[in-house]
Amino acid sequence: MEGALKLWIVIVAVGALNYLSRLSFIAFFASREMPPLLARALKFVPAAMLTALVLPMVLTPSAAGTLAGLNPRIPAAIVAAVVAYFTRSTLKTLGSGMAALWLLEAAIR
Amino acid sequence: MRHLVATKDFREGFVEILPACIGLIPFGVVCGVGAAAAGADWIAALGMALVIFSGAAQILAVQLYAANAPVAIIVLTCFVLGLRFLMYSAAMAPYMKRLPVNWQRGLAFLLTDQAFAAAIRKFDASEDARGAGLHFLGSGIALWGMWITTNMTGFFAGHSIPASWSLDFAVPLCFIALVAPLFRTLPSVVAATCAGVAVLALAGLPMRLNLIAAGLIGIVAGTFVDLAGERWKAR
Repeated sequence: MEGALKLWIVIVAVGALNYLSRLSFIAFFASREMPPLLARALKFVPAAMLTALVLPMVLTPSAAGTLAGLNPRIPAAIVAAVVAYFTRSTLKTLGSGMAALWLLEAAIR
Repeated sequence: MRHLVATKDFREGFVEILPACIGLIPFGVVCGVGAAAAGADWIAALGMALVIFSGAAQILAVQLYAANAPVAIIVLTCFVLGLRFLMYSAAMAPYMKRLPVNWQRGLAFLLTDQAFAAAIRKFDASEDARGAGLHFLGSGIALWGMWITTNMTGFFAGHSIPASWSLDFAVPLCFIALVAPLFRTLPSVVAATCAGVAVLALAGLPMRLNLIAAGLIGIVAGTFVDLAGERWKAR
């Protein structure tokens, strides 16, 4: 198949499936009652899903290498998590996490 | 449209998401770089950002496209990766129910990882469904605009950013900013811990199924602890 056409088929199909996934249960439960157990379980979607998303990203090897065998991204992520826990601020979390990583990577280099 | 944009809730949603938009910059840039590296032209790169509007899916799609995978495999893999949107959709459903159907259909398009985390917090704290909906619209449009801009920036200029800046680390940091404040109750901590252990333990699964499996495991564990805690208190 010709490259550009193939890519556009992928774009449209993935876009449509993404949209339908995002709409799915919003549309389904628009006119139905949600079972109480499901409603209770869904409270844990953010904590479980975001942790599952974030952990592999944190464990990606650093471009600078390791510090005493430890990926510097791990302590930097812990610093950011503590700041996020206490401040609830995205900007402070970003700032402290990036600063910690840059310091640690500078120490390695 | 103008009467919606002029509301206080829309503007608050727009402004409050801006810090998360900063964290989105490297993510979008990475997507743009990936599209360029896979040989896409700028219109396809733009189309990807506009239509798919999901960093993880876009990166995966261009990687598989560059590796010459068949269309069906690319679409299926991205669909599995997007199964988490089913969970976001279900979690938003009780709140979205109070909004008109057109709103539900429009806002669903904006239900990305970042928008979901921000919106569920807002809807949870607010009695006013319409206000929370406008807030969601504001944050969603800010994220979409930023997404398109950064994808294009990455496509045209991304290759000139040195890897030593480790800018990609801003992506997990944004999610940490959203998830760490949730660790205030035991069931949430258990849900996150189990999901975290599972996503690493199941890393060998194909099509990144470990992500959705870990999410489900975490949710079940959190619910179990929540129910057990209630029984304990009732005694």
